[in-house]
Amino acid sequence: MDKQDNFYRLALANNISELERIHLTVEELLNKWEIPAAMGFTLDLVLEEAFTNVVKYAFGDDQAHEILLEFEKTDQLLEIRLIDDGLSYDPTQKADPDIEAPVEDRQVGGLGIFLIKQFMDSVDYQRKDNKNYLILTKQISR
Amino acid sequence: MNITVDKTENHAIVKAEGRLDTIHADNFEKQMLEVFESTKGEIILDCSGLEYISSTGLRVFLIVQKKMGTAARKFKICNLQPVIKEIFEVSGFNMVFSIFPDLNSALAS
Repeated sequence: MDKQDNFYRLALANNISELERIHLTVEELLNKWEIPAAMGFTLDLVLEEAFTNVVKYAFGDDQAHEILLEFEKTDQLLEIRLIDDGLSYDPTQKADPDIEAPVEDRQVGGLGIFLIKQFMDSVDYQRKDNKNYLILTKQISR
Repeated sequence: MNITVDKTENHAIVKAEGRLDTIHADNFEKQMLEVFESTKGEIILDCSGLEYISSTGLRVFLIVQKKMGTAARKFKICNLQPVIKEIFEVSGFNMVFSIFPDLNSALAS
Protein backbone atom coordinates (compact mmCIF):
# COMPACT_ATOMS: atom_id res chain seq x y z
CA MET A 1 0.00 0.00 0.00
CA ASP A 2 1.60 3.28 -0.95
CA LYS A 3 0.83 6.65 0.49
CA GLN A 4 -1.54 7.67 -2.30
CA ASP A 5 -3.79 4.69 -1.82
CA ASN A 6 -7.01 5.65 -0.14
CA PHE A 7 -8.39 2.15 0.19
CA TYR A 8 -7.30 -0.79 2.29
CA ARG A 9 -8.91 -4.19 2.74
CA LEU A 10 -8.11 -6.68 5.46
CA ALA A 11 -9.39 -10.26 5.35
CA LEU A 12 -9.84 -11.66 8.84
CA ALA A 13 -10.69 -15.06 10.31
CA ASN A 14 -13.63 -15.30 12.71
CA ASN A 15 -11.30 -15.46 15.68
CA ILE A 16 -10.89 -12.95 18.51
CA SER A 17 -7.10 -13.18 18.18
CA GLU A 18 -7.47 -11.14 14.96
CA LEU A 19 -7.98 -8.04 17.12
CA GLU A 20 -4.21 -7.82 17.20
CA ARG A 21 -4.04 -7.49 13.40
CA ILE A 22 -6.85 -4.94 13.43
CA HIS A 23 -4.94 -2.88 15.99
CA LEU A 24 -1.74 -3.04 13.90
CA THR A 25 -3.62 -2.10 10.74
CA VAL A 26 -5.20 0.92 12.43
CA GLU A 27 -1.73 2.02 13.56
CA GLU A 28 -0.39 1.64 10.04
CA LEU A 29 -3.26 3.57 8.49
CA LEU A 30 -2.93 6.40 11.01
CA ASN A 31 0.64 6.81 9.79
CA LYS A 32 -0.02 6.45 6.08
CA TRP A 33 -3.11 8.60 5.99
CA GLU A 34 -1.83 11.13 8.52
CA ILE A 35 -4.77 10.63 10.82
CA PRO A 36 -4.32 12.20 14.28
CA ALA A 37 -3.17 9.64 16.85
CA ALA A 38 -6.10 10.51 19.12
CA MET A 39 -8.41 8.89 16.57
CA GLY A 40 -6.49 5.62 16.90
CA PHE A 41 -8.06 4.88 20.27
CA THR A 42 -11.55 5.54 18.89
CA LEU A 43 -10.97 3.34 15.85
CA ASP A 44 -9.50 0.52 17.95
CA LEU A 45 -12.51 0.68 20.22
CA VAL A 46 -15.26 0.74 17.60
CA LEU A 47 -13.57 -1.96 15.50
CA GLU A 48 -13.09 -4.21 18.50
CA GLU A 49 -16.74 -3.81 19.49
CA ALA A 50 -18.01 -4.45 15.97
CA PHE A 51 -15.64 -7.32 15.17
CA THR A 52 -16.14 -9.04 18.54
CA ASN A 53 -19.92 -8.94 18.11
CA VAL A 54 -19.63 -10.57 14.69
CA VAL A 55 -17.23 -13.30 15.89
CA LYS A 56 -19.35 -14.09 18.95
CA TYR A 57 -22.86 -13.90 17.54
CA ALA A 58 -23.01 -13.84 13.75
CA PHE A 59 -22.31 -17.47 12.95
CA GLY A 60 -24.57 -20.32 13.87
CA ASP A 61 -21.90 -22.93 13.24
CA ASP A 62 -18.33 -23.85 14.16
CA GLN A 63 -17.00 -23.24 10.68
CA ALA A 64 -14.30 -20.83 9.59
CA HIS A 65 -15.66 -17.61 8.09
CA GLU A 66 -13.95 -14.71 6.41
CA ILE A 67 -14.73 -11.26 7.75
CA LEU A 68 -13.70 -8.32 5.61
CA LEU A 69 -12.66 -5.00 6.97
CA GLU A 70 -12.44 -2.17 4.44
CA PHE A 71 -11.07 1.29 5.06
CA GLU A 72 -11.59 4.14 2.62
CA LYS A 73 -10.47 7.73 3.00
CA THR A 74 -12.07 10.43 0.89
CA ASP A 75 -10.72 13.88 1.67
CA GLN A 76 -11.23 14.08 5.41
CA LEU A 77 -13.89 11.41 5.67
CA LEU A 78 -12.98 7.93 6.81
CA GLU A 79 -15.42 5.16 5.93
CA ILE A 80 -15.03 1.70 7.39
CA ARG A 81 -17.02 -1.33 6.27
CA LEU A 82 -17.21 -4.59 8.20
CA ILE A 83 -18.59 -7.38 6.03
CA ASP A 84 -19.52 -10.88 7.19
CA ASP A 85 -21.52 -13.79 5.82
CA GLY A 86 -23.24 -14.52 9.11
CA LEU A 87 -26.88 -14.53 10.09
CA SER A 88 -28.83 -11.44 9.15
CA TYR A 89 -28.52 -9.02 12.04
CA ASP A 90 -28.85 -5.25 12.21
CA PRO A 91 -27.01 -4.03 15.33
CA THR A 92 -28.17 -0.45 14.76
CA GLN A 93 -31.67 -1.56 15.80
CA LYS A 94 -30.49 -2.70 19.22
CA ALA A 95 -31.94 -0.55 22.00
CA ASP A 96 -29.42 1.62 23.83
CA PRO A 97 -28.49 0.39 27.30
CA ASP A 98 -29.75 2.41 30.28
CA ILE A 99 -26.57 4.27 31.15
CA GLU A 100 -28.16 5.76 34.25
CA ALA A 101 -29.22 2.47 35.83
CA PRO A 102 -27.89 1.67 39.30
CA VAL A 103 -24.97 -0.75 39.46
CA GLU A 104 -27.13 -3.79 40.35
CA ASP A 105 -29.11 -3.41 37.14
CA ARG A 106 -26.22 -2.39 34.93
CA GLN A 107 -25.55 -4.67 31.96
CA VAL A 108 -22.71 -4.62 29.47
CA GLY A 109 -24.74 -6.31 26.73
CA GLY A 110 -25.52 -3.72 24.08
CA LEU A 111 -22.80 -1.39 25.29
CA GLY A 112 -20.58 -2.22 22.31
CA ILE A 113 -22.91 -0.93 19.60
CA PHE A 114 -23.83 2.01 21.85
CA LEU A 115 -20.15 3.00 22.06
CA ILE A 116 -19.83 2.65 18.28
CA LYS A 117 -22.79 5.01 17.80
CA GLN A 118 -21.36 7.48 20.30
CA PHE A 119 -17.87 7.61 18.80
CA MET A 120 -18.64 7.48 15.06
CA ASP A 121 -20.44 10.13 13.01
CA SER A 122 -22.68 7.60 11.30
CA VAL A 123 -23.47 3.90 11.67
CA ASP A 124 -25.42 2.14 8.95
CA TYR A 125 -26.39 -1.43 8.28
CA GLN A 126 -27.17 -3.14 4.99
CA ARG A 127 -27.95 -6.74 4.04
CA LYS A 128 -26.68 -7.54 0.54
CA ASP A 129 -25.98 -10.89 -1.16
CA ASN A 130 -26.52 -12.78 2.09
CA LYS A 131 -23.94 -10.63 3.82
CA ASN A 132 -24.05 -8.13 6.67
CA TYR A 133 -22.49 -4.75 5.98
CA LEU A 134 -21.81 -2.48 8.90
CA ILE A 135 -20.77 0.91 7.55
CA LEU A 136 -19.14 3.43 9.84
CA THR A 137 -18.00 6.94 9.00
CA LYS A 138 -16.01 9.51 10.88
CA GLN A 139 -14.72 12.91 9.92
CA ILE A 140 -10.99 13.18 10.43
CA SER A 141 -10.49 16.28 12.54
CA ARG A 142 -7.21 18.11 12.81
CA MET B 1 -1.36 -6.44 29.52
CA ASN B 2 0.43 -6.56 32.84
CA ILE B 3 -1.19 -6.81 36.26
CA THR B 4 0.63 -6.39 39.56
CA VAL B 5 -0.97 -6.78 42.98
CA ASP B 6 0.18 -5.28 46.26
CA LYS B 7 -1.75 -6.74 49.20
CA THR B 8 -1.70 -5.31 52.71
CA GLU B 9 -3.93 -5.99 55.69
CA ASN B 10 -6.42 -3.26 54.85
CA HIS B 11 -6.40 -3.10 51.12
CA ALA B 12 -5.12 -4.46 47.86
CA ILE B 13 -3.70 -2.19 45.20
CA VAL B 14 -3.94 -3.62 41.71
CA LYS B 15 -1.97 -1.94 38.95
CA ALA B 16 -3.29 -2.66 35.46
CA GLU B 17 -1.01 -1.75 32.57
CA GLY B 18 -1.43 -2.04 28.81
CA ARG B 19 -4.49 -2.91 26.77
CA LEU B 20 -7.60 -4.35 28.37
CA ASP B 21 -9.26 -5.73 25.26
CA THR B 22 -11.34 -8.84 24.60
CA ILE B 23 -8.15 -10.91 24.24
CA HIS B 24 -6.95 -10.00 27.75
CA ALA B 25 -10.24 -9.58 29.63
CA ASP B 26 -10.57 -13.23 30.75
CA ASN B 27 -7.17 -13.26 32.40
CA PHE B 28 -7.82 -9.87 34.00
CA GLU B 29 -11.14 -11.16 35.36
CA LYS B 30 -9.44 -14.25 36.83
CA GLN B 31 -6.80 -12.15 38.54
CA MET B 32 -9.31 -9.63 39.91
CA LEU B 33 -11.47 -12.44 41.31
CA GLU B 34 -8.38 -13.99 42.90
CA VAL B 35 -7.65 -10.65 44.59
CA PHE B 36 -11.30 -10.42 45.68
CA GLU B 37 -11.22 -13.91 47.21
CA SER B 38 -7.83 -13.60 48.88
CA THR B 39 -8.25 -10.18 50.52
CA LYS B 40 -10.73 -8.60 52.89
CA GLY B 41 -10.63 -4.81 52.68
CA GLU B 42 -10.74 -2.30 49.88
CA ILE B 43 -9.48 -2.95 46.38
CA ILE B 44 -7.90 0.00 44.63
CA LEU B 45 -7.36 -0.33 40.90
CA ASP B 46 -4.57 1.95 39.72
CA CYS B 47 -5.12 2.60 36.01
CA SER B 48 -2.16 4.93 35.40
CA GLY B 49 -0.69 2.44 32.94
CA LEU B 50 -3.98 1.41 31.37
CA GLU B 51 -3.85 2.52 27.74
CA TYR B 52 -7.04 1.05 26.35
CA ILE B 53 -10.32 -0.52 27.43
CA SER B 54 -13.30 -1.93 25.51
CA SER B 55 -16.76 -2.97 26.69
CA THR B 56 -15.40 -6.45 27.50
CA GLY B 57 -12.94 -4.83 29.89
CA LEU B 58 -15.66 -2.62 31.38
CA ARG B 59 -17.65 -5.78 32.03
CA VAL B 60 -14.90 -7.05 34.35
CA PHE B 61 -14.89 -3.75 36.26
CA LEU B 62 -18.65 -4.13 36.67
CA ILE B 63 -18.37 -7.73 37.92
CA VAL B 64 -15.83 -6.66 40.54
CA GLN B 65 -17.96 -3.67 41.57
CA LYS B 66 -21.03 -5.87 42.06
CA LYS B 67 -19.11 -8.45 44.11
CA MET B 68 -17.49 -5.80 46.26
CA GLY B 69 -20.84 -4.06 46.83
CA THR B 70 -22.48 -7.32 47.90
CA ALA B 71 -19.60 -7.95 50.30
CA ALA B 72 -19.88 -4.35 51.63
CA ARG B 73 -16.33 -3.64 50.53
CA LYS B 74 -15.04 -0.58 48.70
CA PHE B 75 -13.78 -0.78 45.13
CA LYS B 76 -11.91 2.34 44.06
CA ILE B 77 -10.49 3.26 40.69
CA CYS B 78 -7.79 5.88 40.25
CA ASN B 79 -5.49 7.48 37.69
CA LEU B 80 -7.73 7.06 34.64
CA GLN B 81 -6.09 8.42 31.52
CA PRO B 82 -8.25 10.96 29.61
CA VAL B 83 -9.20 8.54 26.81
CA ILE B 84 -10.30 5.90 29.32
CA LYS B 85 -12.15 8.51 31.36
CA GLU B 86 -14.09 9.46 28.25
CA ILE B 87 -15.27 5.85 27.80
CA PHE B 88 -16.44 5.83 31.43
CA GLU B 89 -18.33 9.08 30.90
CA VAL B 90 -19.93 8.08 27.60
CA SER B 91 -21.11 4.75 29.04
CA GLY B 92 -22.30 6.32 32.30
CA PHE B 93 -19.85 4.12 34.20
CA ASN B 94 -18.43 7.20 35.93
CA MET B 95 -21.68 7.20 37.98
CA VAL B 96 -21.29 3.55 38.96
CA PHE B 97 -17.72 3.58 40.24
CA SER B 98 -15.78 5.49 42.88
CA ILE B 99 -13.20 7.23 40.75
CA PHE B 100 -10.25 9.17 42.18
CA PRO B 101 -7.72 11.39 40.41
CA ASP B 102 -4.72 9.64 41.98
CA LEU B 103 -3.66 6.88 44.34
CA ASN B 104 -3.18 9.13 47.36
CA SER B 105 -6.71 10.51 47.22
CA ALA B 106 -8.07 6.97 46.78
CA LEU B 107 -6.12 5.79 49.84
CA ALA B 108 -7.17 8.82 51.88
CA SER B 109 -10.90 8.61 51.27
